[in-house]
Amino acid sequence: MSHNGCRGRTELLLEYAAGGLDAAGREAVERHIGECGPCRDLVADQRGVWAALDGWEAPPVSVDFDRRLYARIAREESWWDRILRLFSPVLMRRGLPVAAAAGLALVAILVMSHPAPVPPAPLAKVQQAEPLRPDQVETALQDMEMLREFNGLVRPDPADSKM
Amino acid sequence: MGGATAALDYDAELMVRVKEGDGASFALLLNKHRAAVVHFLYRMVHSQGVAEELAQEVFLRVYRSRGAYEPTAKFTTWLFRIATHLALNWLRDGKNERGQQSLDQRDCGMPAHEAADGRPSVEQRMVRESRFEEVRHAVAALPANQRAAVLMHKYEEMEYSQIAKVLHCTESAVKSLLFRAYETLRARLAHMA
Repeated sequence: MSHNGCRGRTELLLEYAAGGLDAAGREAVERHIGECGPCRDLVADQRGVWAALDGWEAPPVSVDFDRRLYARIAREESWWDRILRLFSPVLMRRGLPVAAAAGLALVAILVMSHPAPVPPAPLAKVQQAEPLRPDQVETALQDMEMLREFNGLVRPDPADSKM
Repeated sequence: MGGATAALDYDAELMVRVKEGDGASFALLLNKHRAAVVHFLYRMVHSQGVAEELAQEVFLRVYRSRGAYEPTAKFTTWLFRIATHLALNWLRDGKNERGQQSLDQRDCGMPAHEAADGRPSVEQRMVRESRFEEVRHAVAALPANQRAAVLMHKYEEMEYSQIAKVLHCTESAVKSLLFRAYETLRARLAHMA
């Protein structure tokens, strides 16, 4: 690696500074930085960055994190399941425009907000059916779309199977 | 799912079990990835309280989406994609302004307490706090997507290909993000070696 050719070697130098090269790679880089001052400086500086970042500790997670999470899950699961039951067959169909799904959700909200005259339901059922809020439906649609997009975009590759 | 499932990582298998209604598998996933997600978010938003709130949202979304989950990639790619999405949204919406003003010692990354028999001197403590602050500000000054790339590369030890999937961009774009980010950080932090 001559100095004029070092511009394209930055990736290798960064990996070396991070300790991510195999023995042959390390040997090649060490041979090079033994002769190339700018690359030697880059490696030294990058090690400095690495050491600085190593020292940045994150605080421990709160001990009640799980309890709060499970409480939220229990609280939100009921309305989420209702949304899924309503829209899952439609939302999961690949190729359906999100706008159409959003439209369906909007219609559903309107229907639930202004129900058509129907025979009175049994009291117990009325009490269980709290109206969905627009933000709940929006969040549901975002989640479904992100997962659908992710499932569609990401295909298994050999790298995935290594982990 | 057959062969495809066999090639998946253990986390994805756990998530498939969650999809089938196994709550214990969700607890295992939570236990395994809780700290990594919270720490990643903490370093993104620089507030422990906000990081935990966002992390709760991450795991809540994972749980909510269990029915539609397809094991097509590493579970952590999906997990960090959600986390990054939430963090970038939070930063974009400017919700960090109030948080930045109210940073306390815990939010600055300092351990909540010191061991009684290993207490650093006042001078050591001041030096360490100063270093924490310098690192924190250097990382905070990075554009949000560069910050996310650096944090996943440095602390989660993700490969370029996985970071690319999380950030929904190409590997070469990830390399470009990282090179620019590390160049900026070298200018600000190299002296700390």
